[in-house]
Formats: sequence, structure tokens, C-alpha cells
Amino acid sequence: MTDSKYFTTTKKGEIFELKAELNSDKKEKKKEAVKKVIASMTVGKDVSALFPDVVNCMQTDNLELKKLVYLYLMNYAKSQPDMAIMAVNTFVKDCEDPNPLIRALAVRTMGCIRVDKITEYLCEPLRKCLKDEDPYVRKTAAVCVAKLHDINAQLVEDQGFLDTLKDLISDSNPMVVANAVAALSEIAESHPSSNLLDLNPQSINKLLTALNECTEWGQIFILDCLANYTPKDDREAQSICERVTPRLSHANSAVVLSAVKVLMKFMEMLSKDLDYYGTLLKKLAPPLVTLLSAEPELQYVALRNINLIVQKRPEILKHEMKVFFVKYNDPIYVKLEKLDIMIRLASQANIAQVLAELKEYATEVDVDFVRKAVRAIGRCAIKVEQSAERCVSTLLDLIQTKVNYVVQEAIVVIKDIFRKYPNKYESVIATLCENLDSLDEPEARAAMIWIVGEYAERIDNADELLESFLEGFHDESTQVQLQLLTAIVKLFLKKPTETQELVQQVLSLATQDSDNPDLRDRGYIYWRLLSTDPVAAKEVVLAEKPLISEETDLIEPTLLDELICYIGTLASVYHKPPSAFVEGGRGVVHKSLPPRTASNESVESPETAPAGAPSNEQPDVIPTQGDLLGDLLNLDLGPPVSGPPLATSSVQMGAVDLLGGGLDSLIGGPNFVAPPAAAVPANLGAPMGSGLSDLFDLTSGVGTLSGSYVAPKAVWLPAMKAKGLEISGTFTRQVGSISMDLQLTNKALQVMTDFAIQFNRNSFGLAPAAPLQVHAPLSPNQSVEISLPLNTVGSVMKMEPLNNLQVAVKNNIDVFYFSTLYPLHILFVEDGKMEAVSSRLQSSNIFTVAKRNVEGQDMLYQSLKLTNGIWVLAELRIQPGNPNFTLSLKCRAPEVSQHVYQAYETILKN
Amino acid sequence: MISQFFILSSKGDPLIYKDFRGDSGGRDVAELFYRKLTGLPGDESPVVMHHDDRHFIHIRHSGLYLVATTSENISPFSLLELLSRLATLLGDYCGSLGEGTISRNVALVYELLDEVLDYGYVQTTSTEMLRNFIQTEAVVSKPFSLFDLSSVGLFGAETQQSKVAPSSAASRPVLSSRTDQSQKNEVFLDVVERLSVLIASNGSLLKVDVQGEIRLKSFLPSGSEMRIGLTEEFCVGKSELRGYGPGIRVDEVSFHSSVHLDEFESHRILRLQPPQGELTVMRYQLSDDLPSPLPFRLFPSVQWDRGSGRLQVYLKLRCDLPPKSLSQELSSPEQKAELGEGALRWDLPRVQGGSQLSALFQMDVPGLPGPPGQGPSTSAPPLGLGPASLSFELPRHTCSGLQVRFLRLAFRPCGNANPHKWVRHLSHSDAYVIRI
Repeated sequence: MTDSKYFTTTKKGEIFELKAELNSDKKEKKKEAVKKVIASMTVGKDVSALFPDVVNCMQTDNLELKKLVYLYLMNYAKSQPDMAIMAVNTFVKDCEDPNPLIRALAVRTMGCIRVDKITEYLCEPLRKCLKDEDPYVRKTAAVCVAKLHDINAQLVEDQGFLDTLKDLISDSNPMVVANAVAALSEIAESHPSSNLLDLNPQSINKLLTALNECTEWGQIFILDCLANYTPKDDREAQSICERVTPRLSHANSAVVLSAVKVLMKFMEMLSKDLDYYGTLLKKLAPPLVTLLSAEPELQYVALRNINLIVQKRPEILKHEMKVFFVKYNDPIYVKLEKLDIMIRLASQANIAQVLAELKEYATEVDVDFVRKAVRAIGRCAIKVEQSAERCVSTLLDLIQTKVNYVVQEAIVVIKDIFRKYPNKYESVIATLCENLDSLDEPEARAAMIWIVGEYAERIDNADELLESFLEGFHDESTQVQLQLLTAIVKLFLKKPTETQELVQQVLSLATQDSDNPDLRDRGYIYWRLLSTDPVAAKEVVLAEKPLISEETDLIEPTLLDELICYIGTLASVYHKPPSAFVEGGRGVVHKSLPPRTASNESVESPETAPAGAPSNEQPDVIPTQGDLLGDLLNLDLGPPVSGPPLATSSVQMGAVDLLGGGLDSLIGGPNFVAPPAAAVPANLGAPMGSGLSDLFDLTSGVGTLSGSYVAPKAVWLPAMKAKGLEISGTFTRQVGSISMDLQLTNKALQVMTDFAIQFNRNSFGLAPAAPLQVHAPLSPNQSVEISLPLNTVGSVMKMEPLNNLQVAVKNNIDVFYFSTLYPLHILFVEDGKMEAVSSRLQSSNIFTVAKRNVEGQDMLYQSLKLTNGIWVLAELRIQPGNPNFTLSLKCRAPEVSQHVYQAYETILKN
Repeated sequence: MISQFFILSSKGDPLIYKDFRGDSGGRDVAELFYRKLTGLPGDESPVVMHHDDRHFIHIRHSGLYLVATTSENISPFSLLELLSRLATLLGDYCGSLGEGTISRNVALVYELLDEVLDYGYVQTTSTEMLRNFIQTEAVVSKPFSLFDLSSVGLFGAETQQSKVAPSSAASRPVLSSRTDQSQKNEVFLDVVERLSVLIASNGSLLKVDVQGEIRLKSFLPSGSEMRIGLTEEFCVGKSELRGYGPGIRVDEVSFHSSVHLDEFESHRILRLQPPQGELTVMRYQLSDDLPSPLPFRLFPSVQWDRGSGRLQVYLKLRCDLPPKSLSQELSSPEQKAELGEGALRWDLPRVQGGSQLSALFQMDVPGLPGPPGQGPSTSAPPLGLGPASLSFELPRHTCSGLQVRFLRLAFRPCGNANPHKWVRHLSHSDAYVIRI
């Protein structure tokens, strides 16, 4: 027999020959013929013409032949549904065969034939097989219910198969249980509300028992099912964890990861003081380490998961740094993942070891890997302050190598180090400048220009250096152009005498010769700023920049929590929620970690929390390196376009704008008033609003007895950011008046007095209607509740998001800024009812389907039907205060529209 | 849930294609996969790829691509595990895994797939369970002869060099001939260790770890009991030490679920009733403290004359194994050195224990980037040189010192011959790197 026996090329008579062989009397010959047919099918030849002949072979007592025929049927039944019916009788008969293998085979194959006509014949045999005495048949039937459900869900429900399936969960055979769980989970996913898999402590107990008995694959189904359960308290969570932990030493990595998922999820409910919590942490490390000795494919998938686990709970693997060291023969994708995890685990304790490794990596051959290693050194410097000096000197060594891409990467990371530790390492600037000519990548050029601009006063020939870049200005990428513009303006502000010409040159290049709007706008802003008030320009351009955060590339915390729920799935490899890559609907239920129950929770203050526990520290997330550069470099321009993700952390946001009108007045022309810093106290001191304040009893507040929904108070300004003053608050609307309910808490050691408040311009003109009145000085650890009445007559500027409100609060210590989002419903006016219009229309049989409010206009969506069955859909737009309505109609018969319009007019005008 | 499974040849031709859920885009998917795989940029991982909402997970085995696709958010671990189990299963049933055997046994492969996976759900991957269901017999290319055992090699360990060719005895299908009972009484037991070592440029040892496994391939009837005796000094974990000798210590051990450990604590005996086919009886790992010295030390030194661009690499290799461990002399004509693919290769056919070899290589490489800030006279190595990496195979040697003391079979054949037992030990390098 040769390899090509079944693969001879299609000759004219091949089909004919096969036909003859299929109809042969000899069983062996028939079998060989069907095998040949299947071989042809596999290589993509069309053998559907043989359908009747193959089906004829079906009635045989030879199991091998029967299986082959069934295999053929599964493939071709869909394309030949009419002929597939021919096979039904044999299927039904086979489902009652004394041999359980044949019964199972028949029911399995019928489920795979996705032809509607067959499904009706499938029901009776399936019902019998679900109650078959042989577990092999039962487990096949359980899966068949899922198959049938996919073809015809209604039929499955009508026939009561779901209940039978639920009964199978208590089957005596673990294989049957596992398949029933799998089938039910799949069916439940397409009906999220159906509660098919009713998880309660009893059924969980059953599943945990089956866990010990079934095959490894069944264990995976069951563990995944457990992960969807939320225990009622920490005791139950602990007892489930205890029973799941033995799975961690399973040889099948899928079982291990499913167990890790359950543990990571339920750990969230356990108190950190518990001894068991510590034990569990220790138990999680070895299985994860073991995964790293598997083949590279598994390693890669494991590393992607470990990356998530390390971000959530770094303490698990903090002593295992060595296993993440890169092996010389690791594939590049494994190397890059390992590098990433090394940085996440880097700490003061192991930094020396890490740095020595990274330095080795930076001299390897693979360019991508070397680049990433150089970046990693920079990230170490930013993360572990004590190591910064060593990192910088390592980077300098690398720059000395003059290897082009190493130098460029090093310069990019050194710029970040300068941002983190300003004025500390400027001694290296000279070395950096030597390499100016070799930089050809935009990111590196931009970084270098930023450094020159930032430290212009210490670089003697800064003007020459920047000028050299200016020659090819139009050939540079936008990133470099923007940076060059800013850097030269900085230089001018620092050394105005000798660089006037240079700055004029760059401004004209940016504004007149460029067609990039970003560049032009930035150019104009600088130009006007410089020409109207150089002092202000200095304040703006050379303002102190906020420090960059320690950790980069962190996954945003809420996403991280969601991904932790998906450990060991594709989501954990892509680091994206499943909704981002799974076809809509199925299986996309948003998951979240269970809340921590507080039965014996101790109070943890942020100060005493262990250093490596970001779960309750909410680290500020800064974007990846690439974006970072743009953002960081842009910051010195004034109000950024978008704020940081957390409302409470937005101290730096819009600081310039808040103080005195910012850019608008700059652009407005020569009436720029005073340096911003002076503006706030002056305004705050002045009495604001009208005498309205007397009407309100400030300390008791108006109360929240009635009126619209009031959100609970949220912390707007944490004490850490405001020298001990903590502000929390909410907004209320009461009988037509809006107020801001504030709670001021003094967490500092000194008494606070002289409170005042001011709002920045906002979308709805919200402004305090009375000064902030705190009657007595606020002594340490005291808090006071104040209700500040608001009006909407302040100046208006559209904010992003619309309901963003930036607030400045002053006391005797300092001025603090924060921003918050107010719920829009406090702005809903009491006469917003359109009932008058709609009820009048309804009495004329014009029915309101929906109401919307779009940009201050009320929209009524209405429908009406004429006696001859013509439907008309109408949109009625009502502007408050404007007696004219706008009517838009949609109708299949446009000729009626004119008359409908007249009808509306008559109804509404009368 | 797995939507499709297919096997592609190394050139991308489909050998097997199976659709489990009818939700797929048809057979073009296999072609799509191959195009995606070959067009992937270097630093992106090929392990998990996706096209729209179809996700591909694959492994490469014996030159074939085994691919599973899914459109749901399921565990990539289970897919990878399944694919490697399938590779083992196909090997067990068809003899060995390869393009030829697969295309000869298309019907058998489909039958197996139908029993392993139903509607994309894994049912079982145990050779033993499947035996009850599988009807088709394997088509084998040539008959086996028990006398063809001169080149008995490792059946499982894919060593880097793969000098040891798999013998036809070990690559026989487990279930080949139902009639020919007498020839089947063979057991292969291998102790295979992979050694990863990292040595810094100053000669200090940065990292050592040993990953070992004991693998068994049994042709005995299922359920026949066997006992494997390990070195008595064998101990697990750091605290426990046995005997007075240096001890043979490993950090972690895991056993196959069919192993009974009742005699393990007292006598270091593993008792098991293995199913037919291959299985990994025990897996262990050991890091940092190796009981014996490293088998090889390499002392590289590099001289570089920047002016002329002449690079001299002097390598001294010392083998610290006991002299008897390899009896054959180094026969110098067989060794060779060649330069290519950005590396210098020095091949040595054999090295005798306790011997020392050295080699001097001279190369003219003008225009290498220089070391930082020193004059042209320096002899420091240029950048981008190194590391040196050793790859080797040590038969009859385990780095951890673990040995199989005995392999006893409770099985007594009714007929003629005693079962044949083959026990082998082998260490080979995984990544043995010396930085320069």
C-alpha cells in the first residue's frame, strides 16, 4: 500500500468506479470504497454524487462500516436534505439497537445533521436515549440536546428536554454530569435570564463532589461553572476554595488555570488578615511557576495570564523573579512577555538582579528584544527610586555603544526619567547631545528636543542644536514639529535676548507654512501669548509639570477586575473583555469580582496597607509609552482635551483655565488681565450672588425629605490631595432650587478657617448663589455639613463631558481644585411636562410614542393611523419659550403629509 | 467549544478537516489559517491568532500543524492540552504521527475525532477508554520485526539534535494487530532530563534548572501491574534528606493519576497499572542546587584587534563527567567548525569524560561596532558577540542523579517469551548558555 492510495487524481471514471465498488456484495470491498470516498472528501473533492450509494451501505451490522457511512452523512446531509430523509428510518432503528455503541452513534450523528426536517424525527429517539441504561448513550444524548437547541430552541423547550437535562446533573456517572453541565451552560448562555443552571449551596456541593470523580475535561467544565457562582459570605468562599485547591497540582494546565480563576475570584471575598488568605497566596505560586517549564505555546498563554495576576496580586509571585529570566532559546514572543512581568515584579529587594539581567539582554542580537530591554531599564528607574542612579548609568553605558537603535531607545526612556526626577541627572545631557546626529526615529528626536528645550538654560549651544533641527522642519513628523515648536518657545522664554530670530522663524514655519491644524493652532497660541504678555507666557509654558506616575502600562483597574474573572480564557490572552472579540450576544455577560464581605473585615487605612497591594490604592493609570510622550509633552500647553479617568484625581486638570478664564481671554486679544495665581483669592473674597443666601439655613441643609433623587455623597477631594481637607458632596434639587450639599472634613492637624468657593465656567452656567459660609473654624477631625445654594446665571462654556464642574475651594492653608460631575436631573425644570401638548393631541388620536430632549429642545415622537390603514410617524420639536413647533413627518404616502400638517396646526392652535 | 479541527501538512495542505458545530465558514478556514500564520510579523505570537471572530490555536508536531478553532471565549489551555493529547493519541493509534501515516489512516483519524470530541466538547482523551469504541484498524506502512532493535531510540523525547532516530519498534501503533498477541510484550521506560544553565561572563553560575520526566510506553495488556523502583536516596523538597550520601533531591514532583504511591514513602517504589500507550509517569524539577558538578564547562576568551578587524575566539571545553562515562575517544577528523547564520558552530561527535578540548578561531570582521570610549588598541570583545550556547546529549546520565533501580512486571504471559523491558536514561541540554 502506498501513501497515495486514496489520493489518485480524479479520472473520468473514478466516481463511476467507486459507485460500482460501493454496490459490491463483498463487505470488505464496500468498506474500502467508503474509505476512499472519505479520503476524497477530505482533500476537498466533491463526492456528493455518491450519496444514494453510500446511504445504501448504511444498513449493515458491521460497526466499522456503519461509522464510515455516518461520517459521510454528517458531511453531505446539509447539501442534500431530501436524500438525508432517506437515512432517517435507519437512524431511528439504530437508536433502538441492542448495542449501546450503535445507539449512541445514531443519536450523535442525527444531532450533527443540521437539517430541519430531520429534527422532528430526532425527538422521540433522543427522549429514549436520555434515559438509556448505558451511561455512554446518556452522555451522548446530553450533548445532543445542546445540538438540537442550537437548531431549534423552541422545540427543545416544548419537548421538555431541559428538565431531563437538569435531572442528569444528579446522574451517577460523572461523565454524564460533566456533559449535562456543559450543555446546560451553553443553553443558559443564549438565555441569560433563564436561570437554567440554578447555582445554590446544594448544587455547588454536588458539583464539588463530581469534581473529584470526573475526567480532567469534565473538571474544566465544572470549575468554569463554579467560577460563575457568588458565594454568600466569606465562609462559604473559603470552604469552596479549600475544595478547589487540590486541583492546582493537576497535570492538565487547563484544570490548573480554571482552579486559579475560581481562587482568584473568591479570594476577593476573603479578609487579608485571615491565616487562610496567606496560605492560599502561597499555594498559588508553584503551579504558576510549573507552567513556565511547559512548551513555548503553553508558556506564552500562561505568561499572559500571569501578567494579569501579577497586576492584581503582586505578592503571589514576588519571590519568583528568577523564573521569568529570559532563556536564550525562548521564542521572541515569550521573551517579550517575560520582560514585561519582570518589570512588574521589580522592587527594591530584587532590583540589582533585574538590572544585571536587563543589561545583558540589551546586548543581544534581536532588535525588538533589545529595544524592549532598554525601555525596561527606564521603567525600572521610574518604578524603584533607589535604583534610578544605577539605571541612568547603565543607560549611559548603552549610549556609549553607539548602536543606533539602542541609543534612540535609551534617549526616549531618559526623557521619562527626567520627568520623574527633575533636575537630578542633567549631568548626562552632554553625553546625550553628542548623539544628536544619529537620531533618525521621530520618537527619539522628539524626546531629545524635549530635553534640550526643558534644560535650555544649562545647554550652552541649545539654540544651535535646535536650529539644526529647524532646517528640515517640514520633513519632520508632526510629533517632532510640535516638540520643536514648544522647545524653541521655552528656549526663548529662558534666553530671550539671543533667540528672538529663532522663535520668529519657528512660529512662522508653524503658522504660515504648515497645513497641520494642530501645529498651526499651537503656533498661534504661543504667538499671541508671547506678543500680548510674555510674563503670562512664562507662567504657562514653563509651568511646573505634574510628576509622572510610577507604573506604566497598567491595565485600567475595572478592566483588570473583569479580566481576572476571565483567567484561563482567550480574553486573558488578548487582554480584552470577551465582548470585544466574541460575536454579539452569546456568552457576553459582563462579569465582576464579588464584593468583599465585611463579617470580620478589619479597617485598613491606605497608609498601613502593604506597599505592593494596588487593589485598594487605585493607581493612576497613564497610557502606554507611545501615547505618553504625546501627552506629557502636550501638558505644558494648558488645559488638556481630556481629563484623567478619575474625577477626584483631576487636580492638575484645567488648572490654568480655572484661574481666570485661561485661553479664551488670551485669544480674545489684549485684555489679558493678571497672572493667574492672583486671580482666585481676589474673586473669592468678593461677595457673590444675591441676598438669597439668607433664605437658607446652611448648616442643616434643606433636607432631603422630598424632591428629586439625591445621590449619596461621594468624595470629591481626598484629604491627601488637599493638605488634609476632605470634601465630599452631592447635588440636590428641591422645589425649584438647586443646591450642592457639601461635607468638609478637617483631617489635618491645624484649624481651618476662611473657606470660600468658586466654580469655573460650565455648560449650564452653574454658580454659587451665596458665599460658602462656614460659621466656626474647622478644628482637626471635625466635619461640617453645608448646603450651598446654586443658580444657573453664571457664565456658560460647554464642557467635556457636558456635566463637568470644576471647583476651587480656598481656606487659610491653600487653594484646592477639583472637578466633579453633576447629575443632569438637578437641572430638570418643573414645567418640563409636555402633557398639555400630548394629551391634547391624544384626544385627537395622535399618540405619543416617545419623548426626548435634544439640545434643549423637546422632541415628541408620535404615531397616527388613518382609516385606510396608512401609518404616519411624526416628530414634533418644541423649543421652550418659542411658540412655534417644528413638525417632521414620515409616511409611505407623502400626499397626506400636507393635510396632517394642517390637522396638527388646527389641534394645537385651538 | 471547539468549532473545527484540522491537520495541515508543513506546506499548508489540509490532511484532515472536521467541523464540529456547523457554525464555520467552511474549509477555506484552513487556508486562511495558513496564510495568517505565514504572514505574521516576527514579534507577534502565533499561538493564539484571530480573524474576525474566529480564533485559531495551534501546535506544531512532527512537521504537522494541528489546529483548533473556536468562536467563543474558551480556555486556550484546554485547547493546547487537547491538541498535544491528540498528537499523542494519533501516534498511539496510527503508529507515528506524520503526513504519510495520517493520509493512510484518514478514516481512523475521523473515527477518533468523533469519539474524542462531540459538538466541540472534549469527551475523553484516554487511549484506554477509546479502545472500547474504535473499530477501524490502522494501516501501517511496513511490518515490524522485533529483531530490528539495534537502533532502539527514544520514543518520546524530542531532543534538540534528534540524532537518536526513533526506532520502528517504538513507533508501532499500540493497537496494531489484534491477532499477533505474542509480539506485544514490550515496555519502554525512559528517564529524560532537560538541563538549562546560565553562566555569567565571569564564570559564576547564575541559574541551573533540571526538568525531568519518567516516560513509559507499554505494549502490555492494559491493567497489568508494574513496579518501578527509583534510587533510594531520592527525596523531595528541601527539608527531607535520606541516607548519608549527598542525596538525590528534587524540588517538586508530580505523578500520573494511575500511579499508586503507597510504597513510595518507604521504598521509593512507584506502583502502577498503565494503560497501553504512552504516558508520563512522573515529572520533576530541580533548580539551583545540583548534586553533581555541571557536565561541561566552557571557558571562552575573545581577542579583538580593532584596527585590522581580526577577531580571535578561543574556546576551552572541559567535560567534568567521570572518565568511564563515555568510552570512545574523540576522533578528531569528525569534528568540524563552520560559520553561518550569524553564528560559529563547533561540532564535536563525542567528548570523553574528564577530557579537555580547546579550539582557536580566527575571523576577519571589519567594521564591528566598538566597545565604549577606548582606544583602538583594546582587546575587549566587540559588541553583539555572544552568548555561547552548548547543546549536547548525554546517554546513560541524569544530572539529578536519579536512576531507575528496577522495573518489575507482575504480568506473566501465558505463552513463550518474557516481556522485553527497556530502561534508558538520558540528559540533554535545553538552554546551556555561557555569556561572553
